[in-house]
Amino acid sequence: MSRLPALLTLLAVAGVLAALPFILSDYNVSLAAQVGIFFIGVLGLNILTGYTGQISIGHGAFMAIGGYTTAVMSRDHHTNLVVTMLMAFAICFVVGVLVGLPALRLSGVYLALVTFALAVSVPLLPLQWSTFLGGSGGVQSAQTVSHVWLYGVAWSVSAILFVAAWLILRGRVGRAFRAVRDSELAAVASGIELPVYKTLAFGISAAYAGVAGALFVLATNGFAQPSEFTVFLSLQLLIGAAIAGLGSLWGILAGAAFVGLLPAVSSSVPVVGSAHGRDVVFGAAVILVMLLLPDGVAGLVGRLRNLSRA
Amino acid sequence: MAVNRRKIGVVLCALAVTAAVASTAAASHTGTPGVSKNQIVIGGTFPLTEGPATAGASLYKTIPFAEQAYYAYVNAKGGVHGRKIKDIILDDQYTPSETVQQTTKLVEQDHVFADVGSLGTAPALSTWGYLNKHKVPQVLLATGDAYWGNCVRHACAGGAKPWTMGWQPDYPGEGKLYAKYILKNKPNAKIGVLYQADAFGRNYLAGLKTGLGKHKNMIVATQSYNATDSPNVAGAHVIPLKAAGADTLVIFAIPGAAIGALATSTGIGWNPLTLLGNVSANRIFMLKAGQAHAALDGVVSTAYVPSQTAQANLRGMKLAKSIIHKYAPGLDQEFAIGDGNLVYGLAVGWTFVDALQHAGKNPTRASLMHALRNLNEKNNPFIYPGMVVKTSKKRTFPMEQLIFEKWHGGAGGDWKTFGGILNSGH
Repeated sequence: MSRLPALLTLLAVAGVLAALPFILSDYNVSLAAQVGIFFIGVLGLNILTGYTGQISIGHGAFMAIGGYTTAVMSRDHHTNLVVTMLMAFAICFVVGVLVGLPALRLSGVYLALVTFALAVSVPLLPLQWSTFLGGSGGVQSAQTVSHVWLYGVAWSVSAILFVAAWLILRGRVGRAFRAVRDSELAAVASGIELPVYKTLAFGISAAYAGVAGALFVLATNGFAQPSEFTVFLSLQLLIGAAIAGLGSLWGILAGAAFVGLLPAVSSSVPVVGSAHGRDVVFGAAVILVMLLLPDGVAGLVGRLRNLSRA
Repeated sequence: MAVNRRKIGVVLCALAVTAAVASTAAASHTGTPGVSKNQIVIGGTFPLTEGPATAGASLYKTIPFAEQAYYAYVNAKGGVHGRKIKDIILDDQYTPSETVQQTTKLVEQDHVFADVGSLGTAPALSTWGYLNKHKVPQVLLATGDAYWGNCVRHACAGGAKPWTMGWQPDYPGEGKLYAKYILKNKPNAKIGVLYQADAFGRNYLAGLKTGLGKHKNMIVATQSYNATDSPNVAGAHVIPLKAAGADTLVIFAIPGAAIGALATSTGIGWNPLTLLGNVSANRIFMLKAGQAHAALDGVVSTAYVPSQTAQANLRGMKLAKSIIHKYAPGLDQEFAIGDGNLVYGLAVGWTFVDALQHAGKNPTRASLMHALRNLNEKNNPFIYPGMVVKTSKKRTFPMEQLIFEKWHGGAGGDWKTFGGILNSGH
């Protein structure tokens, strides 16, 4: 019964997204592309945190790996940018699986700390291997892209990965993820292999973040640099996922729009003296969302739905 | 329920259309972007707030406000060719991904005439491809790397960058002068170098080595720190320099790290001849080092703007004081204790106005670049007396002069320039 309207919603969203570049100004297209990039990142993190119950505050690190993959391949080999995205996907999947290994022994706040360490340490690698990864001077990719290209690719990839996530989560694997989240003990008792599913969840979500990172670097005129991938980026993704809530297209759109647009919207001219005005806006918005929408926008959509039923 | 969703869809479409109409209305204009009958809109990006991993960059944040103060002063006198200058300052937190977003906003949303004075090497590198492609002037950059002068005609990162231009003396040239100073004053020196592990630090170091020439082996040890290190961690790198037997310390670092290095040297009882790259020689940074118990007397650096504290009687410094007081009174205190960045900002503002005056009654981006490539300022009141800001077809670095300065008077002391004006050019 709910299949058809869901499909209609998807088509409507896709239609609006397809029409936007023709009606928006170039600058707004670049902002919309930014939202698309965060859509991918938030979607991936949602699989790990929302569905599988594993906290990560280190997904900015995977974005860094994906971003540097694209920049370096473009710089050294002029590789087709879409191909570099596939490479970013593959490399980050592998790294994600490896990072998932500690998750087998650690949980909750301890796992969060491991991922936090990742977020802090990965951006330092370019400084260590500065001839290959450009040091803090960064890596400039050979190709750069227009706003419209970025927009088109970001949202096409978003659509593909959204459908992929839907396919993964609706079946056996998705059920296993949710079982792990709800009770590891019960999951094991029902024959779910924890090592497989935990590392798989890490791998998939890291791969999503890697693709987001590749696009993120292209959005920075093809310039990859350590200071783009700070801990704050990881937090942005986590905040996006928290705002998104669980399992709703609207939620992920809202979360992505929030973290993708707020810096652009709130950055105009803080006066000398109010040095951290921008961070205050961001923090206050997060607190408000958490207070008013504890289940994220997805929870809100659910509540609205119940209201309309009543 | 389906109805509900359709409603949301309709609302979304309506919003999209409204946004589109609004943005196309804003975009429909003719002529040179940013130039209207009585106004010229320019913009720039600066670290107004501290990013998560950029210890100390926002110490530079007073620069754009001094520039705005200078434009307000010019506007009050009628502007340039009857047009008032409006300067939009955006915060990029010294983070390239933010710089790209904010610069895109300046160009495509605010339709600025030019990107003027934006700060930082990595931020500028992240936007120069974009700005050159769209032929938007990226000028009077607040970074002394040599790219901005070297890549005007030579291909760098995918092509020449004729729309990009720096302003201040370049780092390699400055590094060479320190080499000359050491060769003259301490010919048997054993040099230890602390530098930032990126293009900024390496360019400085390369200049020092060039200057030493065949005496390169006077450098007995080098240490590098990362821009993301905390000041104490960065500063601690002087310890192995001392251990290597160095008796001369050269610091090519951003303010936080330089303050850490000065304090650590004193702390470990090391008292070498110290030469300090001028990006960290602002008096307010030195006072901070003094508060951290660094022994400062005898530290040598260079200058290209006068000091409002040591040279308060200069006509230019009196003018600077009155402009800041009238148009940026919130910065009076910073000015009084000797924030050299305020003078720097005024000087950059002066050069921009000078170029605009020479760019014709109805300036275009091309005519602005032409004016900037043919500067000849002997009377900029905010640069060191006797120095010039000059460009030509052959000369792509606007400033190529420095003067040495030495710190006197301990923790509450000040710089004193010595010797004559030197050529730091190529």
